[in-house]
Amino acid sequence: MTITKQKTTKRLVSVLAAALALFAFTERAEAQQILLTGPLAGAPAVRKLRQHRKARFEVAPAVSFSLLDEYQRTILVGARLNYHFTDWLAFGAWGAFGAAHIPTHLSEQIQEVNAQRRAEDAAVQAATGNPAFMQRATQLTAVNIGPDFTKQLGSMDWVVAPQLTAVPFRGKLALFQSIYLDTDLYFFGGPAFVGLTERKNCETCNGNFAMESRVAIAPTFGLGFTFYINKWSALGFEYRALPFAWNTGGIDTAGGGKDKKFPDNKITNDDRQFNFNQVLTVSWNIYLPFQYKTSE
Amino acid sequence: MKSSPIGLLVAVALGIFPAQSWAQAKAGKATVAGKAAATKDSEGVIDADASGSAASGDAAAAEAAPAAGDTPAEAAGEETGDTPTGSGLDDICKIDPAACPNLDMDKEAARPLKEQIFAVQQAYALRVRRFELQAGWSQSLNDQFVGHPAPVLALNYYITNVLAIGVNGQYYSPFNVDKDFNAQVRRAARVAVPLTEYQWGAALNFTYVPAYGKFAGFGDFIFHYDAYVVGGVGAMSVRPIAVIDPDNRNFQYEPKLAFNAGIGLRIFFNRWFAAVLEVRDYVFNDKLESLTSSKIPGNGPNGAGNPSTWYGETSLTNNVQAQLGAAIFIPFSFDYRLPK
Repeated sequence: MTITKQKTTKRLVSVLAAALALFAFTERAEAQQILLTGPLAGAPAVRKLRQHRKARFEVAPAVSFSLLDEYQRTILVGARLNYHFTDWLAFGAWGAFGAAHIPTHLSEQIQEVNAQRRAEDAAVQAATGNPAFMQRATQLTAVNIGPDFTKQLGSMDWVVAPQLTAVPFRGKLALFQSIYLDTDLYFFGGPAFVGLTERKNCETCNGNFAMESRVAIAPTFGLGFTFYINKWSALGFEYRALPFAWNTGGIDTAGGGKDKKFPDNKITNDDRQFNFNQVLTVSWNIYLPFQYKTSE
Repeated sequence: MKSSPIGLLVAVALGIFPAQSWAQAKAGKATVAGKAAATKDSEGVIDADASGSAASGDAAAAEAAPAAGDTPAEAAGEETGDTPTGSGLDDICKIDPAACPNLDMDKEAARPLKEQIFAVQQAYALRVRRFELQAGWSQSLNDQFVGHPAPVLALNYYITNVLAIGVNGQYYSPFNVDKDFNAQVRRAARVAVPLTEYQWGAALNFTYVPAYGKFAGFGDFIFHYDAYVVGGVGAMSVRPIAVIDPDNRNFQYEPKLAFNAGIGLRIFFNRWFAAVLEVRDYVFNDKLESLTSSKIPGNGPNGAGNPSTWYGETSLTNNVQAQLGAAIFIPFSFDYRLPK
């Protein structure tokens, strides 16, 4: 037998062995079929399932806290309304208004430096009798920083978000081996209408720190946990993303240069930076009617 | 040709192998049929604990029937023997026709099941006397100026089923990200924000597991999870990023005492492998860069090159990290103390 023939035979036998192995692999994997007999034959997978959501309205007063804010944190107070068509699908809306706007440490630092510069300028103006005097740093920030930096920050004033909710996971939780709660994990998504107040666009912006309102439309999505306390109420914890572009600091960051990535000493739409806005929500969910149904 | 017999042997071995190991797919449906119905609650999921207390409160669940895809390992081996087979009944009838069971299966199917239910059955995955090896990736949640992603490793030993002692570590050094936002703020406001980058972190921790549960997904499969709190003490090696006077300042990493506390969620794929999601806050006292720079050149007592002039105020810093990873429990298997 020549070397070439030997090699060919060797390859052939190897391929045959591999093919045999594959057949052996699939044959038994597909052969398994369970035939349920006895009293449970034909019975549903779960009986007497507590259907916490099916055909019920959900009214959930909620408080939301914004995360990873650069200049200003927002606390939104509102509610979520849902109607659950089935135990796993609901349609509704979340609405909230910005009840509190809290500047971050960065904003406070900027304002502290800003106030100090302006005080120094005022002292020099008084001493020299030159009301137009501005130190170099004040001149360079004249477009960006007004008398009170915290007053020019973009704020989220209200949000309305119609949304579809799916509840694919349900289960229960044992706490300290003594408290047992029904729980579910849900996902939601939809469009969001966000009422914003941000610095008004301007061509000549020195000393012009007027604000204006607008409505931004953005996608919103997230997930949440529900912990059922009793037949008609539950605690909810939810994470929501609201990505859209806005001018959070009221400053000029873009619009100039070849790719519009440099300041142009104007406040324009280009200064709206994309932000992956996020909120954490705590809610108390009330279900109507108060009595849930159970499955067969 | 010498390797051909080996290939054939592999083929034969593969042919034999699946016949034994794959015969239990969806076993929960069939083997639980007898008394495993008693292990279901009204959400259609099996309670999970080894305490074995009786469940008066779950009486409504007594009528529950087993769900598809439920825990086959619990059912297999324990309950298959309880289901009478046709040949067994035939034998009884031959020996003593008077004792021959005469069941109307339709009537039996319609009869409500009133079997005893345990509120808590065997925990799906026992942790006691097992090591847990965690590996994952973490991302900072609270620093809008510098990103601190890092690979994470942790090793825990469970002294009891709910309490563990362990160590963990993160390696930040090559992954710190100075964000564009810093440059924008410096340019727009002429205000410099002191920045810090991290090199590594390590800690000794205690973990407590107060909560566990299970979810039924899409009415078809069940996964078990637990939630834990963790806390400990260790060190973080950190240094300022020179932004005020980068020409003269070159900071070195220094370890700082760091405390940590956090919460985590572990989702079990089987009894030794789980996904882990954790949020933990590492708190340490950070020495920030001085916001003023010396105008005196050189390394003299007050010179710009003297490291003693580089540092400013100290600040209690929170490094909140979200970690996603996997956990492996060793040994892979364990024995329950009680059969139920």
